[in-house]
Amino acid sequence: MNEILAQGPGPGAWMLLAALLFAIGVYGVLTRRNLVAILVSVELMANAVNLNLVTLSRTHGSLTGQSFALFTIALTVAEVVVGLALVILVHRTHRDIDADAPSRLRG
Amino acid sequence: MVQLALFALFAPVAMFLAIAVLPPQRRRGVLAGALSSTVAVASLGAGIAALLRYDGQPVERTVTWLVHHGRPIASVGVFLDGVSLSMMVVVGLVAAGVQVYSLGYLHGEPEPHIGRYFAWQSLFIFSMQSMVVAPNLLQLFAGWELVGLCSYLLIGYYWTKPSAAKAAVKAFWVTKFADMGLMAGIIVLFVETGSFDWQPGLAAPVATAVAAGLFIGVMGKSAQVPLHIWLPDAMEGPTPVSALLHAATMVAAGVYLIVRAYPIFEAAPGVLAFMAWLGAITAFVAAVTAIAQDDIKKVLAYSTCSQLGYMVAALGSGHAMGGYFHLTTHAFFKALLFLGAGAAIHAVHSNDIHDMGGLLKKMPWSSGLFLVGTLALIGFPGTAGFFSKDFLLEELLEAGQLVPLALLVVSAGLTAFYMTRVFSIAYLGDPSPAAEHAHGTPATMFTPMAVLGVLALGAGYFGARLAELWGFEYAFHLSALGLATTGLGLLGIALGWLKYARGVDVVPSLTGLRAFIRSGPVDTFWDRAWRRGLLPTARGIGWFDRYVVDGLINLVAWATLRGSEALRKLQTGRAVDYVYAVVVGLVIFAAYGTIAR
Repeated sequence: MNEILAQGPGPGAWMLLAALLFAIGVYGVLTRRNLVAILVSVELMANAVNLNLVTLSRTHGSLTGQSFALFTIALTVAEVVVGLALVILVHRTHRDIDADAPSRLRG
Repeated sequence: MVQLALFALFAPVAMFLAIAVLPPQRRRGVLAGALSSTVAVASLGAGIAALLRYDGQPVERTVTWLVHHGRPIASVGVFLDGVSLSMMVVVGLVAAGVQVYSLGYLHGEPEPHIGRYFAWQSLFIFSMQSMVVAPNLLQLFAGWELVGLCSYLLIGYYWTKPSAAKAAVKAFWVTKFADMGLMAGIIVLFVETGSFDWQPGLAAPVATAVAAGLFIGVMGKSAQVPLHIWLPDAMEGPTPVSALLHAATMVAAGVYLIVRAYPIFEAAPGVLAFMAWLGAITAFVAAVTAIAQDDIKKVLAYSTCSQLGYMVAALGSGHAMGGYFHLTTHAFFKALLFLGAGAAIHAVHSNDIHDMGGLLKKMPWSSGLFLVGTLALIGFPGTAGFFSKDFLLEELLEAGQLVPLALLVVSAGLTAFYMTRVFSIAYLGDPSPAAEHAHGTPATMFTPMAVLGVLALGAGYFGARLAELWGFEYAFHLSALGLATTGLGLLGIALGWLKYARGVDVVPSLTGLRAFIRSGPVDTFWDRAWRRGLLPTARGIGWFDRYVVDGLINLVAWATLRGSEALRKLQTGRAVDYVYAVVVGLVIFAAYGTIAR
């Protein structure tokens, strides 16, 4: 029992957690109308992917996945910066950060 | 020799570009005229030098043009033999003469108009020469169309006059209509033999198709009945233009084409017989029509039609050279007649022969030259026209084409009659009021006439030399046919002189004939064909195009528009909807990937 605890949960459990996080992220993107909340949900999805990368990297004993995860974190930061800038612009134009506010592209 | 020919060919076109492009020359017409006629004379000199150096061996120098799959389809270049070199000299001579003459004739016209005129004259020399030296039918066709363009431009020289503008368009349309036949013939030739060459050795059915097509083009260009209607109207152009294009050279292009393509025509006996008949009918009809004309240029125009009919009929005999000999002499005396008529018009300021009257007393020298041209046209014994007409009639007799021959012999009498009528009314008797103030002819106008006069008198004596140049035997001998023709000609002269100079009623009144010709039966026919045949057909095709072809296209456009109207609703512009689309797409792909595995 102690050995099991010392070993920690196996890769299956971690990937299950990642899937759960991803699903929560998707749910958030689909349901929330606040742009900031949507951004946060996107972050959740990105980190679910990171978790998968790290898990599989460890399982296979290769460092490639972990380095990818590092890259992804850096890229996510950039994405959030752009996303927040957009949110600010939307707020300036529409005085609102509701996702339905900018709809001028409708056909 | 090739260099000389190339100079004769390209110097005028260089002059054309210089006049057309450089503004000071275009505006300063007198300068342009002087330069242009100098170049024309130089071009003539080069042509004569090339002819003198000709040693009996044809020279062909071509460059490949139009390569298809590594195989040359056509070439352009020069083909120099006795026929093309002598034509080159004839064209160069008449063109140079006419340009010098125009310096005097157009004196006092607005300068830019003179510049325009000489630019086109130079372009015409190039076009005609490139057609003459063409080594194949394709280059000939290009030159053929270029001279057609020059003809259109020069007929419309007085374009502010509605009748001149109309005449130019009419000439263009009628000849283009005929050129469809020429083009069809060339296409058939290329499809059947894979080349545009003169001597392809064709099978009889193909040769007949090609020759028939080519001959339709000739009918338009060389003004054969019933496509001759444009030539009398073309007299709206300045008289030197009529002399060069519509008497001596351009209208003879059709005859020249037949001479060049004679190997094809020889293989098509049906077309040859048709040519003999149509040429004879043209000669006769045009000669009859010429009697009823009061405009001196119209008389000469119908006379040109008639003489072209002689040439075409002679070519239908199966021998190319009689018609070609007549082409050469006709170029000299008909150009002379037009230049003489131009001198008269210049002096009297009217085209009507009744306004002239008694010009022989007022301007004896140019009137004398007009008389020389008249006699050569009639075929008075000793003149150039006598020898060539006699020779071509002999050819027809040998070929056994007796009915066309009879028509031509009668036409010779008619020719004598109508030319004597013109000469009696316009030149004999007492000067009319308009002719009282007739002034002399300037030297620029008189010199070319004198040169042409010498040739109109003397060219016939070089028959044997020319025959040697063209590669056949010729020796003049007086036959019963020649005597009969000459007798009829003298009778025509006598009748014309008695009726119009003496006022003796030797022939019945021509009022009925005149009224019939004035009503323009052939023009009416084409007008009806146009109104009742071509126009409804064109309307029908137009309807089909507007409502069926365009309708289909409009239908497609309408469907696209409606469809996109419906589909644009898919673009809601709400970010959430797009996310839904992405997620649904993801699920679909994931499901597909799972199932397909």
